[in-house]
Amino acid sequence: MTTSPLLQIEGLSKSFFMHDQQKEIPSAREVSFRVHSKRLTALVGPTGAGKSSILKAIYRTYIPCKGRILYRSAAGKTVDLASADEHTILALRSREIGFVTQFLFALPRQPAIDVVASPLYRRGLSKADGRQKAGALLQRLHIPEHLWGLSPTTFSGGERQRINLARGIIGRPRLLLLDEPTASLDLRTTGDVLEMITELKNEGTGILAIFHDPDLVQRMADAVYQLDRP
Amino acid sequence: MMRKVLDVKGLSKVYGKGCPYCRDATGPRFDTNICPHCASVVAVHDISFTLYEGEILGVMGESGSGKSTVVKCLYFDETVDGGTAHFFDNHGQYNLFDLFSLNAAQRRWLRYRRFGMVYQNPHMGLNLGISAGGNIAERLLMNDMLIYADIRKRASELLQRTEVPENRMDDLPGHFSGGMQQRVQIAKALATNPPLLFLDEVTTGLDVSVQASILDLIIEIQDQLKTTMIVVTHDLGVIRLLAGRTIVMKNGCIIEAGLTDQILEDPQHAYTQRLVASAL
Repeated sequence: MTTSPLLQIEGLSKSFFMHDQQKEIPSAREVSFRVHSKRLTALVGPTGAGKSSILKAIYRTYIPCKGRILYRSAAGKTVDLASADEHTILALRSREIGFVTQFLFALPRQPAIDVVASPLYRRGLSKADGRQKAGALLQRLHIPEHLWGLSPTTFSGGERQRINLARGIIGRPRLLLLDEPTASLDLRTTGDVLEMITELKNEGTGILAIFHDPDLVQRMADAVYQLDRP
Repeated sequence: MMRKVLDVKGLSKVYGKGCPYCRDATGPRFDTNICPHCASVVAVHDISFTLYEGEILGVMGESGSGKSTVVKCLYFDETVDGGTAHFFDNHGQYNLFDLFSLNAAQRRWLRYRRFGMVYQNPHMGLNLGISAGGNIAERLLMNDMLIYADIRKRASELLQRTEVPENRMDDLPGHFSGGMQQRVQIAKALATNPPLLFLDEVTTGLDVSVQASILDLIIEIQDQLKTTMIVVTHDLGVIRLLAGRTIVMKNGCIIEAGLTDQILEDPQHAYTQRLVASAL
């Protein structure tokens, strides 16, 4: 690839210091790789190799201990996500960088359709417009319409995961971090989800993903980055 | 560009006569906020933070950590012993208020018009001797809304928004349930569309369904009105749902500050690690 990367990770290390035990627990050591727009990069490696930690460090849920995470923003600036101030990170999260984990965390009582549309409400979209967009996504992900008005806390694992994905992609992020987005889905819904991920990628999003299934990596990834235990 | 709303620097508050050693002999290092020399309580020591428009800042910590005192100082319920706080008001013309050097009339003006406060105990924020609508009217009257029909209309709008049945508007809030009192208090605080709202343990002690409805309401207010808020709570769930950034207090000091998900998932300070580990 000749174009400059969307994300360039240089010598990223993360460890946790547990004060109670006075112990340092390493999680990722000296990791370097790149993520390009319109491509899906997969992180692979054994359990405990730090795959999820790297995603969280990029999203700044974890504070990186060493290294740089250079992100090329929509405004054309290069931002080091490892050291950028909190307001910059929050602004990028609301506009440019999405993160979808295996677990849905949502406001209690909130209807599924509003959970999905919530990133749009944050941007000032009206309830009607937000719901229309969210509805279209939910339809494509085969969430039955009679569930849209209910809180996802009562949904099955697979339904919740699709709600989570829909919320993560509704804002069309430039960079999308996916942590096992199909972990509890059956074959058919996995197909739906993969199709949407591919579509988002073709529209320009750079994706960094962890898949539990090696077949999916083979099928989806344009580039693979292998991690070993630190 | 993000606009600053509040800039607090070195805020300190001591209960008691105080002595020259108070500040060096208390804090997380000594695990106390009581001065061993003069027995004064250093409730808040050297607190600094900046708030930007539309953001919700969480203030977390155990009882006695000083978190409520911070908002009480900013809302002028308490006097301060040190530090500055600047409020940037964008209403009409651009105004800058140096909060701790204002006179009583200026403080009152800010309290009635530009700030809103919701207390843990609704009895603090409501006048229980007058109706729910009357409570809201009180705040509107201070804002030069003097026509009866206008006041009634606005009060009913606010109660509707906070899901208080309209037919209870003329009842005394003393006859309401705790959750409903809390919603009336929020309606009252919102009456003047204040750009800055302080919420002090607003869901503490309410049952979970009422808690959920109040959290819903707060998120909706933030989405629609872009109100800047400080949310004081010891409930990590509330912090996680509401606040983008969080500060953690202990013995009157800030021991850690950061993005809320980072504080909860990658806490750096020993105390925060223990707090998070015992809650989740």
